[in-house]
Amino acid sequence: MSSASLATTSDTLAWLAVVSYVVAGALFGLEFAYRLRWLGVAGLAVTVAGLAANLGAATTRGLAVHRVPWGNMYEFSIIVGIITVAGFLLWLSRRPEIRSLGVFVLLPAVLAMALGGLVFRVPAGPLVPALNSRWIVIHVAAAITGSSVLCLAAVFSILYLVKERIERRQRPPAPPLVAGAARTADRVEVEQAVARQGGIWDRMPSADTLDHLAYRTAAFGFPIWTFAIIAGAIWAQSAWGRYWGWDPKETWSFISWTVFAAYLHARATAGWRGRRAAWLAIVGLATLLFNFYAVNTVIVGLHSYGQ
Amino acid sequence: MAVELRPPAARPDRPPRRPGLGDTLRLAWREYRSMRTALILLVVLAAASILGSLFPQEGISPQRVDQYFGDHPALAPVLDRLGLFDVFGSAWYMAIYLALLGALVACLVPRTRALVRVLRSRPPRGGDLARYRTRAAFDTPASPDQVMATALRVLRRSRYRLAEHPEGSGEPQWGAQVGRGELAGEKGYLREAASMLFHVALLVLLVGLAYGKAYGYRGQAAIVEGETWANARVGYDSFSPGRFFGPERLAPFQLRLDDFTNSFYANNTPRAFVSHLTALDLDGRPLQSQRVAPNRPMTVDGVRVFQSDYGYVPVVRVQDRNGKELLAPQEVLTLRDPASEVSNGAVKVTRSTPQVGLQMVLFTGLRTGPDCPPGMDFCNDPRLSRPVLVVLAYQGDLQADRAQSVFSLDHSRLRPLGDRPLLLPPGRSGRLANGMVVSFTDLKQYSVLTLARDPGVPVVAVGAALLLCGLIPSLYVTRRRVWVRAVPAGPGTTRVELAGLALQGKAAFEGELARLAQNIERGTLGVPDRPG
Repeated sequence: MSSASLATTSDTLAWLAVVSYVVAGALFGLEFAYRLRWLGVAGLAVTVAGLAANLGAATTRGLAVHRVPWGNMYEFSIIVGIITVAGFLLWLSRRPEIRSLGVFVLLPAVLAMALGGLVFRVPAGPLVPALNSRWIVIHVAAAITGSSVLCLAAVFSILYLVKERIERRQRPPAPPLVAGAARTADRVEVEQAVARQGGIWDRMPSADTLDHLAYRTAAFGFPIWTFAIIAGAIWAQSAWGRYWGWDPKETWSFISWTVFAAYLHARATAGWRGRRAAWLAIVGLATLLFNFYAVNTVIVGLHSYGQ
Repeated sequence: MAVELRPPAARPDRPPRRPGLGDTLRLAWREYRSMRTALILLVVLAAASILGSLFPQEGISPQRVDQYFGDHPALAPVLDRLGLFDVFGSAWYMAIYLALLGALVACLVPRTRALVRVLRSRPPRGGDLARYRTRAAFDTPASPDQVMATALRVLRRSRYRLAEHPEGSGEPQWGAQVGRGELAGEKGYLREAASMLFHVALLVLLVGLAYGKAYGYRGQAAIVEGETWANARVGYDSFSPGRFFGPERLAPFQLRLDDFTNSFYANNTPRAFVSHLTALDLDGRPLQSQRVAPNRPMTVDGVRVFQSDYGYVPVVRVQDRNGKELLAPQEVLTLRDPASEVSNGAVKVTRSTPQVGLQMVLFTGLRTGPDCPPGMDFCNDPRLSRPVLVVLAYQGDLQADRAQSVFSLDHSRLRPLGDRPLLLPPGRSGRLANGMVVSFTDLKQYSVLTLARDPGVPVVAVGAALLLCGLIPSLYVTRRRVWVRAVPAGPGTTRVELAGLALQGKAAFEGELARLAQNIERGTLGVPDRPG
């Protein structure tokens, strides 16, 4: 196949992956809402098919451009899809019960890929000389993995905040101080109301589980992110002659690092663990997104390879 | 001297002691080294860094700072006073990270002390095992001594640090019988040690960074093909030394640009640019030769030489109408536009009256009409295929005594000379409207190199490596305590009780303790362990 037809195949496969993820997300959502197990199994199958298409998109793109397929924002977005979904499937194989979170994992992957395909798509092409280094393999791969994992941690933190709020509201009011028939009747009524309210969110993992999940995910992503920054510094040392120069991309990756470091500390600090820590993770998510979307396109710097 | 162990009884006639300055300071110190302070300082550091990315920075893009001053004449000086154009070098940014480092050190000292204390003491007794959430128990025909010996072996293999506490502790026991002693095990000290390594590594990294900044330098120099450049302060177009870097420390060498090549892909995007450099000693003896390209620096005498930019140097000669030389063949440094590969430069002829200024535009491959994208009369091929120098002449007062750009003319006191520009290929001459002859005698390239010396790099590298080494165990190693007791429970039966405490990874601990119990049970029965 020629480079041009490979590139076209890649684009088609990428869209196929997006559509598969949307369908799979919908199936997971329906399973969640209607408790039909076969929907979830079907969702899983569609996810695997989508991942295959996604891998195919990256491979054909790589073959079309004769280099690693993560040289610009469009290609980066495709790899984000692979990392997120493959990571989710791997994890699912160890803990099947997290399938109910499938829709929340697929949603960010779909958003990233669709945005990449609609806004940042660039024709297949070679790299500018500054990017021609074996460090692009290490640094960018680590950056994609680290940022995807940290974003997922923040998604779990968002779910935690929602669930925590619901749990707080559902908790029956403190038992009345005066015992008596009327009071008991009140309490029964409250409990019935609580039971009626129980909906989709009751089927989500508990707030504690989500909080723990968010922490585990962040603790997994943080060392990868740290490594990505260090690898970037080594690359910068050989490409630009300095390992750190407060280029906007470097600055924002440092900001994200600091915020997630604060999150990890907050989890062990009285008065911060729980809701405040979750908000820190969400701030971290915002800095990661800003770093990828705004710094690449709006802010002028050495990393402006978006267009 | 006798030590008063009990607090003195409060006297009714004296009010309770008011906290003094010492107490306040102690309290402030305690607060300063708390995790909460570190947390807040981290968030403040992140917020301060955002400012550095929102405003143009002097150290990164001074042109954009100048532009900001032009665009916001009222606001810019205020921002400048606040240090917002040099956030990362400003006093307040330094104050934040020094406060953070101080808190870090203040926190490390008591943590080190605590870790040493833990490592020097034996794992403590478990006390009442019933109060632990994670427990396991089984009955075995083996004797209590056999059980304890097996437990010792099993726990040691699971890398627990162990202590045997003799019987008769007098503490309440879990189970009816009085204990025959217990085995206490603890592991996971690596978590705390690694966390401290991580924080120490951060300090090492910052020390290396500061050291490199203070004793290193960075500069840019342009070398024209075929020429030799000496590593001296005057040779640099821009030079930023560290605080303690003296120009006399510049390594004694010269660089010769033997050749410069650049190439493009079919879609006209740059493919590569390479400087063929030879380093020479001061007597001109060659030391080494290397192709220097982006991502492929060269190291000479501890100085790293990087390829950063390039441009074109037309050689221009100007004569008057009688052939008298007004300007000997001169290398004109031009500024290249990376998007179009078109370069701009200027020649100032001050020896004629009136003075003549030549604005020059160099095309690397001038194309016209059908070769260009639709709607364009002419365009440029980035490859050096058909170079053409376009010369626009002006006459009047060049105001050469005033500071001005070498790449352009000050048009305020100039008027056009003639109505059409000269288009010169290399080796050709053209006559201006006043009879002057402009010759485009040769075309060369120049290479812009960045030279940098940073003696802090090895320290920073060690710091970064230690940082990663510390980070992973500090997040994944889990601290555990386990207690094992064996008490006779009737004839030929021993009741074995295990309890444990997990500070992290509590979910997995239940299974771990069950496995330990199982392995001890199997050990006492002489059955091999279950793996995992």
